Amino acid sequence: MPEITYLQAISDGLREEMRHDESVFCLGEDIGAFGGAFKVTDGFIEEFGADRVWDTPLAENAIIGTAVGAAAEGLRPVCEMQFADFISCGFDQLVNVAAKMHYRQGLAVPMTVRLPSGGGFSGGPFHSQNPEAWFLQSPGLKVVAPSTPEDAKGLLSAAIRDPNPVVYLEHKHLYRRAKGEVAEGRFEIPLGEARVAREGTDLSVITYGAMVQLALDATEDLDGASVEVLDLRSLVPLDTGAILESVRKTSKVVVLHEATRSCGVGAEVSALIAQEAFEDLDGPVVRVTAPDTPVPFSPPLERAVLPQPDDVRRACLELLAY
Amino acid sequence: MSSSPTSAQTTVDVVMPQMGVSVAEGTVAEWRKRVGDWVEADETILEISTDKIETEVPSPASGRVTEVLVDVGSTVDVGTVLARIDTGAKPGEPHADEHAPQAGPAVAEPAAAEAGPLPEKAHPPEPAEHGGNGHGPPISPVVRRIAEEHQIDLSQIEGSGRRGRVTKRDVLAFLERRDDAAAERPLHIESPYRDEEPAPVQEPAPEREAAPAVGGEPLSLMRQKIGEHMRRSLDTAAHCTTIVEADMSRIEAARKSGREKLTYLPFVARAVIAALREYPMLNATLEGDRLTVHEEVNLGVAVSLGEDGLIVPVVHNAHELSHEGLAARIKDLAERARAKRLEPDEVRGGTFTITNPGAYGALLATPIINQPQVAILDLEAVVKRPVVVDGDSIAIRPMTYLCMSWDHRALDGALSAQFLSAVRRHIEEWSG
Repeated sequence: MPEITYLQAISDGLREEMRHDESVFCLGEDIGAFGGAFKVTDGFIEEFGADRVWDTPLAENAIIGTAVGAAAEGLRPVCEMQFADFISCGFDQLVNVAAKMHYRQGLAVPMTVRLPSGGGFSGGPFHSQNPEAWFLQSPGLKVVAPSTPEDAKGLLSAAIRDPNPVVYLEHKHLYRRAKGEVAEGRFEIPLGEARVAREGTDLSVITYGAMVQLALDATEDLDGASVEVLDLRSLVPLDTGAILESVRKTSKVVVLHEATRSCGVGAEVSALIAQEAFEDLDGPVVRVTAPDTPVPFSPPLERAVLPQPDDVRRACLELLAY
Repeated sequence: MSSSPTSAQTTVDVVMPQMGVSVAEGTVAEWRKRVGDWVEADETILEISTDKIETEVPSPASGRVTEVLVDVGSTVDVGTVLARIDTGAKPGEPHADEHAPQAGPAVAEPAAAEAGPLPEKAHPPEPAEHGGNGHGPPISPVVRRIAEEHQIDLSQIEGSGRRGRVTKRDVLAFLERRDDAAAERPLHIESPYRDEEPAPVQEPAPEREAAPAVGGEPLSLMRQKIGEHMRRSLDTAAHCTTIVEADMSRIEAARKSGREKLTYLPFVARAVIAALREYPMLNATLEGDRLTVHEEVNLGVAVSLGEDGLIVPVVHNAHELSHEGLAARIKDLAERARAKRLEPDEVRGGTFTITNPGAYGALLATPIINQPQVAILDLEAVVKRPVVVDGDSIAIRPMTYLCMSWDHRALDGALSAQFLSAVRRHIEEWSG
């Protein structure tokens, strides 16, 4: 299998789906002639034509609203938000119209919204956010956040195939840094299945997205402790079985994410563990997250805000010693 | 911390519970608390056993145990008072025993001497080390659970966590050491919860002599019951074992195509039930000279409880279930059997039993009939073998031996062979 980047994997996944199924098309700002701000759709307009690769105005509300209509009519649109941060402009179409369509009208909305998310490159407060928790609060949406090229491709296919609107978070930091072998051709990674990124017995780090590799690196050598890393992959539906299984094994849990702390994925996972695995806990459930603050532009300040390997190491050592 | 007893005597009786409609009596298997111990409402105060079920009895109230009226091993009627609890007592007033120094495995004698219910020597009250009352380091939920499951006194363990907290790792390491030492450990000294037997207090010498003994621990109640049951069956039935070989290809394919991955067992169970409907004489019980052929199939399925033993929960009206329904019921019963959460009625009324130790790789066995049934089927390992198929060609097929022990008093070899052939036919022609 060829080794490709996370970015190429997303691009390949999208291209495979468009080749396979004419009802798949993509739309977004500068995705056509320019090939996308991050070049995910580079070459698409040449291969598929302007009818299936739409350059849209700077209007997220229109992008998502158009996609909702197309999806309700049976197409499978894939929207690109240039930055995840901008999705707030399309919020109503996504959380009210798309998410509730099935409940109100019984219509499927098989659309995917791609969200280039995350910080770490001095993008400042408007270009660095991880807005996944907003969508955990909107029943009707599914939310995925792949951490590897293989998952990026397989989850994108599954998202496009799913009859529900899916929010697909692709971390910008991984675009050209994460590399791995990815099978050629179409394949799906099922939504709602976590993956044990590394097995361990002493402590579980439960995380997703860009933090998976950070967790693996940070806990590789931790005074001989055996640290399990669970990659959630899907945030909705959440693989509660895999979470509880890991907790039952290790009894100590660090929940790690780059997004802000309050009411985030970490809060949800912690509450689940407290309720369902209380009698298996040997210490408090610890969250390592960004604080409740915007992501600063200044590099040292940004490093202070986003979880760093040392933060993870410290939290794990502290909990191991508890 | 005052040690003056309260005068307001509010006593609550702990009685032998009704454990299912058809159960009239129960046996005290183990006391978790002894006289003087504090017990919380719903905390386990003792374990009882009825027929084959062992279960925990929760305390009906919070208070201090004032009397234990029934000894371990005694069988009494449902409703009999087993113990009394003084609910007027206060927690945190330790009686001396609760803080008696616990003897480690090696030093048995002093603890035995001090452990009487009315110690002459009063120990100064000490703050509870592991009380979870804010003074000592906390006990985590998982440690508390493991300690309860294995009756570990946490004060015996030196904690390696923050402020000396006993971690899960500590308690598991302790458990491993204790299990390793079990063979040479003197009886009963380890557990602060078990009733001390009078003999060691008065005559400690014989126990010390017996201590390094030749692997001596009494059989658990469950093992004793299994032993009695098996011995009685061998003494009662005229055991014969018939074996047929079956090709599991169809079932193997069905297992792979199903929605969830099932074991062979529910498929074979389904085939057995179908065959029992054709040969109802095998779905029978023989008591004395009375043979009862049963309409419904109540299928017993042997579930291993590891070292503890074996239990045979019964899938009642199994003939009404598909193989998927059987799989779900067997899974549920097995899980609850291992968690000791079976109701006594769920181990009664079986009309035929399947035992399935095949996972361990054995090829053949001659099982012992589960009385008063007339036959038991043993499902052993499924192994790929070259077999002759379709005339004269040889193919590799997943094969298994179906070994059935049957009671020659109730039926003859021809019928058992016909029945087994029917089971084989249902297996080999499986169509879901």
